[in-house]
Amino acid sequence: MTAIVSRPARSLHGWHTTPGPFKAGAVILGVHLLFAIVGVFWTPYGYAEMGAGLPLSGTSWQHPMGLDQIGRDVFSRFMYGAHIVLLLSFAGTVLGMVTGAAIGLISGYVGGWLDDILQRVVEAMISIPFLALALVMIIAAGPALAGQPALIIVVVAIVYAPRITRIARAAAMEVATREYVAAAELRGEGTLSVVFREILPNTANVLLVEFSLRLSYAPILIGALGFLGFGIRPPTPEWGLMISENRNLLIASPMTVFGPGLGLASLVIGFNLFTDGLSRMLGQRPVMGA
Amino acid sequence: MSILRLLASRILLSALTLLIVSVLIFLILEALPGDIATRILGRDATAKALEVLRSQLHLDQPPLTRYFHWLGNLLHGDFGASLATGRPIADVLGPRIVNTLLLSLFAFALYLVLALVPAIIQATNRGKAVDNVISVITLVLLSLPDFLLATILLFLFAVAIPILPALATVSENSTWPEMLRAMILPATTLAIMMAVYAIRVLRDSLIEVLRSDYVRLAELKGLRPAAVLWRHALPNALVPALNVTALNLGFLIGGVVIVERVFSYPGFGTLLIDALQLRDIPLIKATVMISAAVYVAANLVADICAVLLQPRLRTR
Amino acid sequence: MKPLIEVRNLGIAYGRPGSWTSVVQGVSFDFARGEAFGLVGESGCGKSTVAYRLLGYGTVNSLAQTGEVLFDGVDLLKLDARSLARLRGNRIALVPQNPTTSLSPGMRVGAQIREMITTHRALPAGMTMERRLAELFTLVGLPDVGHRYPHELSGGQQQRVTIAMAVSCNPDLLVLDEPTTGLDVTTQRQIIQLLQSLRSSIGMAMLYVTHDLALLSQIADRVGVMYAGQLVEIAPCDALLSAPVHPYSRGLIASIPTIDGASSGRGLRGMLRRDQIPSGCKFEPRCDFAKADCKGTPQTLEPVGKERAVACMRWKDIEPAAAELTRAARSPQPDTEVGAVLSVEDLALSYQSPSVLRTFLGKADSIVARDISFELKPGEVVALVGESGSGKSTIARAISGRLQPRSGGIHLDGNALAPVLRRRSVEQLRQIQYIFQNPDASLNPRRRIRSILERPLRHFGIKSDGETLETVLESVGLHAGYLNRFPEQLSGGERQRIAIARALLVNPKLLICDEILSALDVSVQSRIVELLQSLKKQHSVAMLFISHDLAVVQQLADKVAVLYRGELLQMADTATLLESPLHPYTQILLEAAPGLRKDQYVSRSPATPGETSTGGQGCPLAGRCHRQIGKICAESRPPVRSTETGFIRCHIPGSQLVRGNELAAA
Repeated sequence: MTAIVSRPARSLHGWHTTPGPFKAGAVILGVHLLFAIVGVFWTPYGYAEMGAGLPLSGTSWQHPMGLDQIGRDVFSRFMYGAHIVLLLSFAGTVLGMVTGAAIGLISGYVGGWLDDILQRVVEAMISIPFLALALVMIIAAGPALAGQPALIIVVVAIVYAPRITRIARAAAMEVATREYVAAAELRGEGTLSVVFREILPNTANVLLVEFSLRLSYAPILIGALGFLGFGIRPPTPEWGLMISENRNLLIASPMTVFGPGLGLASLVIGFNLFTDGLSRMLGQRPVMGA
Repeated sequence: MSILRLLASRILLSALTLLIVSVLIFLILEALPGDIATRILGRDATAKALEVLRSQLHLDQPPLTRYFHWLGNLLHGDFGASLATGRPIADVLGPRIVNTLLLSLFAFALYLVLALVPAIIQATNRGKAVDNVISVITLVLLSLPDFLLATILLFLFAVAIPILPALATVSENSTWPEMLRAMILPATTLAIMMAVYAIRVLRDSLIEVLRSDYVRLAELKGLRPAAVLWRHALPNALVPALNVTALNLGFLIGGVVIVERVFSYPGFGTLLIDALQLRDIPLIKATVMISAAVYVAANLVADICAVLLQPRLRTR
Repeated sequence: MKPLIEVRNLGIAYGRPGSWTSVVQGVSFDFARGEAFGLVGESGCGKSTVAYRLLGYGTVNSLAQTGEVLFDGVDLLKLDARSLARLRGNRIALVPQNPTTSLSPGMRVGAQIREMITTHRALPAGMTMERRLAELFTLVGLPDVGHRYPHELSGGQQQRVTIAMAVSCNPDLLVLDEPTTGLDVTTQRQIIQLLQSLRSSIGMAMLYVTHDLALLSQIADRVGVMYAGQLVEIAPCDALLSAPVHPYSRGLIASIPTIDGASSGRGLRGMLRRDQIPSGCKFEPRCDFAKADCKGTPQTLEPVGKERAVACMRWKDIEPAAAELTRAARSPQPDTEVGAVLSVEDLALSYQSPSVLRTFLGKADSIVARDISFELKPGEVVALVGESGSGKSTIARAISGRLQPRSGGIHLDGNALAPVLRRRSVEQLRQIQYIFQNPDASLNPRRRIRSILERPLRHFGIKSDGETLETVLESVGLHAGYLNRFPEQLSGGERQRIAIARALLVNPKLLICDEILSALDVSVQSRIVELLQSLKKQHSVAMLFISHDLAVVQQLADKVAVLYRGELLQMADTATLLESPLHPYTQILLEAAPGLRKDQYVSRSPATPGETSTGGQGCPLAGRCHRQIGKICAESRPPVRSTETGFIRCHIPGSQLVRGNELAAA
């Protein structure tokens, strides 16, 4: 395995010294954030307002992304959906990160049978393709919970947690061989003290890059759930759901599909650029793979 | 000797992993607190319908008995019967798996080309314009959700320039050329989605290997550049890419769900979605188990390939 | 005779177009066919950068700005890639620094040599490839290992393979880039002997790059000393060692620790800082002889006597290096009546596999040390010496509580210490402090020095005021300004000082120093040794000093324990041990130490590891011992006999041991 453990970060300030991708990513994400905030308070039409115009009448200045089959303004829905995508992605990733990192760091440092067992379970969870795992959990939650934002957040967290655990564990195991950890052990420091005082700060770079990487993928995962009809309950305009709803209009009014698609893609591009720049700044290479 | 032992231990671990997968799936689907039948049919279901479902799922028996019954049958290759159709699941699965296997093979062949060629071009032209252009393209493609990429390809090649079929509906009667034509768009989508991950890893590892001491020594031995690349650099650079390829195979199984759905391809993925929509628990369990098994097997193969490429691993 | 290699005014820069930083300036030297030329200097002085240009090689981000490198009259800097490829390997070959990373890991070593011969069509007429390979392996003293992968060979064997590869096309010039740096002292010696014999049998020229002057003395005819990208002195090897002219050469030679404790002048002070290089003499900031005008006057190589040149305008004013004899200050012999701080009895150690799963998969554990018994008195320094892998650090781990012994006891102040760290009392943990080998890894890079030093104080509940930290920093030769820095901002030597300060801060009774010098540059090493000597006087703390370097041990230790393959073979007073080594293995160790006693250099080839005894049976040295007396050595455990100042473990009767020693000395 390549060395993935943190080198101390170079100073992060100085806009002109930060890598280009980081800047580009930050700008794109900033625009998205602004757009999402505005979308909460104001949209040209109501996001569930039917008859905002003639259904299928195509794009115009009033309806830059056209209208859907039941005459809702796609741009308004797109705008309102922005904060949903951002919030769900962020909440799910944070929850997965906290759980995964805590389990992984402790497991990697403590080792022994606890680590053996956890590693097997993590391995098993990763073996189930993440989309299948997410879908099965949504089905298992039952109709009452289906479509609730909380369920989507928990599902994203459960899909992410084992993958983050694995990264955190590997990083912790590498840092645990460092002699400053041995020095702390020789002082008689307790497990939690060693994990949080000595190991966590030195795996922070790895975890930060991993967080950013997972965050980039969250909108895709949530979008895919929506696209397949297992995501947020309609008429809440989650972008993946909108792409799926308007697929029948692909020939008549392509912007109803590619509008939300462009939004989703640009958001993920922003996250990816940000991750790229971040990992460069922290001297890390993002660990790839689903 | 040691390689056989290594193989044996890896196979044993894989089996253990699958066993835990079966426990997890069972726990998620059948052992969560609350009544399963109500969860499947919804609160408005009649008492009679609930009763029928309960007996179909043997819910009168304790969970442990049900689990071992299911596991026992699984080990005999018996997946049980579908709730929705009542047909044996093995019969339903067979043709779907064959279809998906064909699609995956096609996609995988495309993937190898789409991953290797750009990565080698990038690593040998590091920092030049080609490298940067490919990096940007990779980043954009990496950021496209699979359902969007599939929709874009569909729009481009089936709507805007209608040269390929929008729907990849195949049947047992389809001829080979028909099958291939139908599969071009879904397979390309899958291949691109997998390749973008591999290109970056392969590029980076190739660059690292090209900087290594042994590549420098090979150069200083006076070998031709091609010999240095093919004999010394590439075999060693492939190892990290192998892990990604294994991960990609895992992705492939998830990816087919989306891609088959977009192109209405009658494969394993559409079957999983159908099963989920109908809440056909035995069918869901079977499909998820199979996809996990494929993933585990792919990792096993990647591990073995890594050992073959890196003799150093053999004695560990 | 026309020189084979002529380097003229070579200047090399690193960076990229638009921003080049010059790293090598105006380097000129030449040497003839069959001559061995050494290039010596501290790490980062540009010696390897120059050496690789002799292969026409430079990294992508480097540029040869000035000068020429003539090989047989052809300028290598102007050749195109194709012509260079024809020369490389064929007429100019490289022996790389690190054989482990330099051999292609996925290819059998035979194939890697074959590939080179095939590329250059260098198979001697009428010879099959197989025979040529066998011949090459014999030449470098290897059995037929052609079918092995690199990882299946030891470091020494790997280096022999790269040497076999380098000579496979009978090159005119061999470039050796620190070829023995990563190797054991004994292996190092074998490789040097191999190179010596190859030189006389094949007669190629060599460019030998190293930081180790003592080593060069055994192989080079002439030596060029480099400092900060410039040659500061060129001289015949013997002349340089006996009478260095340039102040830097003097410092370099004085920094070499010797067994006799003799040193000519003082060692180097300070370190090379790229940001503090003056426009004139680059060595000025560290020079003891510098005058005001040195700073502004660039120095160039000027001939000084026969075959000799030096770049220092003040060389005539400096007095010839006076050999002043200074014995290491040794503390008064500890009173034998005082109870031991640490006593170790019959310790046996093994690495247990902690994972249930691994045990399940049948990974057995192996014994790494057995029958370890010794004592440390208050204020005493006991050195534990042995080759790498002999189990030195494992013993230290067990004493510190990081490894649970298989059997045996460890007592601190007469009280038994729990085998597991978690069972030891806070007080016991405080009394044993550990200093690690690698200062880069022993300080948490995310914490400031203040926090690193305060943590143990708070943890052990030691009262402190604002001056506590400053005082301890002063005692290790640093100042309060360091408190707010991060470890990253410190040099290796400074970090090791902080680690020492952290250990001393809690007033331990026992200090375990685990190879604490081996990661440091020679000049830094000698100053840390000085520090330890003074601390030993002030604090009267007992030290277990683990090292593979006998010269350092000689300066510091009261007693020496010699370890081989996890068994203590001899223990004695430092002086006694060095003057009359008695045990065959101790003799091997002393002879292998490079540069220690050049006058007593014994040119007997050390026995290569052959048939060995199985663990627990016989003497661990059996099969490698030059004084083996028969089957008994491999079959039964040697008896332990006490000597005047310690003990010895050997089958050879005491009287014969003493006689063998006299023979060796004669």
